[in-house]
Amino acid sequence: MASLNQCLASLARLSLSTPGRPIITPAIPKFLIPSATAPLVRHASGGGGMRKRPAKKKKTYKTYKCWDLSEVEQFSLCDALRYLRAFEVGRPPAVVKYELAVKIRTQKSGPVIRNRIRLPFPVKTDTRIGVICPEDSPLMIEAQQLGAVAVGQESLFESIRAGQIPFNKLICHVDSLEALRKAGLGRILGPKGLMPSTKTKTITSDLKATVQELIGADEYRERDGVVRMAVGQLGFTPQMLSDNIKSFMELLKQDISNADENHPKALDEVVLSSTNGPGFSLNGSFHPTDPKLKPEHLQSVM
Amino acid sequence: MVGVIRRFNQLKALVRIRTGPGAAVLPQDVTRIHMEFAHRMNDGHMGPRKFWRDALPRLKYWNPAVPMVVNRTTDNNGPATLTLYFREPGATLASDMPMPSSSNEGFAKAPAPAQGERVVTIDMKHRRSEAILKEFMDKSGAVAVKPTPQDELELREAEEREARGAIDRERIRKMYEEAKRERAMIAQAQSEAAAIRASL
Repeated sequence: MASLNQCLASLARLSLSTPGRPIITPAIPKFLIPSATAPLVRHASGGGGMRKRPAKKKKTYKTYKCWDLSEVEQFSLCDALRYLRAFEVGRPPAVVKYELAVKIRTQKSGPVIRNRIRLPFPVKTDTRIGVICPEDSPLMIEAQQLGAVAVGQESLFESIRAGQIPFNKLICHVDSLEALRKAGLGRILGPKGLMPSTKTKTITSDLKATVQELIGADEYRERDGVVRMAVGQLGFTPQMLSDNIKSFMELLKQDISNADENHPKALDEVVLSSTNGPGFSLNGSFHPTDPKLKPEHLQSVM
Repeated sequence: MVGVIRRFNQLKALVRIRTGPGAAVLPQDVTRIHMEFAHRMNDGHMGPRKFWRDALPRLKYWNPAVPMVVNRTTDNNGPATLTLYFREPGATLASDMPMPSSSNEGFAKAPAPAQGERVVTIDMKHRRSEAILKEFMDKSGAVAVKPTPQDELELREAEEREARGAIDRERIRKMYEEAKRERAMIAQAQSEAAAIRASL
């Protein structure tokens, strides 16, 4: 405390220096003199000196950013395919996929689009289904007949806990719902996206309808304002791809128009790309702009 | 989603597919092309791979209807050949000739020529892709596509954009390295201080 008093005293003396008297310019630089840096006027706040400005707040947006697309070149489906097939030449056609990314004008908060579609030409055919239903019931036999790879209740839970998951889709019959809740498998199944829920329509009382919907059905959901979906294999003809894209877009438009009033959504951009190719913004037309090019030319063996 | 500007620039660079080595229109009598080479470059399989990477996409762009099949094997002692199939003058070919699709595992062997077809092979082993392309152009009779003035303009723009990009990348790299160096120095000083404090 004493040191502070001394300091204040010296400051007071400095501030009392009478004007008119010649001031001897000190040999030390000005910024080292305490009076030059230390504030002579004290505020009531007692903070003294430079108060820290609050960090500039970053502007936040409620909606995902959408760009002005007037400058962006857009392609017809066949034109885009011509380029994509050039990028994918010499690749195994079963491996390379055509992908569609649909940008949506939407708020960052609120419900997201989530649905399932059965494309006219399925892209992947490796759906393996597991069914949870009471053991030794007619349901179990029905599920096996429908082609499920794993059926059961407690035995299935045991194998899941042991890490044996031979399926990539899991559905649950209403009768086994209570058992599933008690089993507490959410930790294992949740991260894999396998946990049955009414939201994903994987808790059902009609096994047959659900299994048939799941086989050859692909799920899509909106993430960060974009819905992505594989819509074709490299070997598809332009017509097949067009059918797939059309049926997908029809369903997606329905989803968009069904969106909650408080969280309106709108279609912004449709981009087609392939596994190794760039993304082409589609303009919605099918035919190539080059008169020499026919859609039939784009279905040769890759 | 990939940003609009990045995608836009990639589409601007499509001029690289329309022009450059391999941008050529094949004559009508070339029915299909088959390539076979190994995944790895040892024993002279580098040139074929470069040809596939550089020239074949351009050929595919200008001849979308011609099947171009690549068979990649794991056998570096094996051959590296390019097979050109020609229609014999006056012959009509079936529209659906048996042709395997490209394979990563060496399953797509070159098919035997169909009735009314002849075959020209190019040995690609131990050769650079430019040499392979030259022989390919000679033997196939392909006509190179000249870039239009618009293409040349876009090509120049793409080059300028890449040059600017290289400068910017260098600038950002330096910035990051500086920040990293500073962080390392602070961490070292802190650890030294902790050591001194511990020894007291």
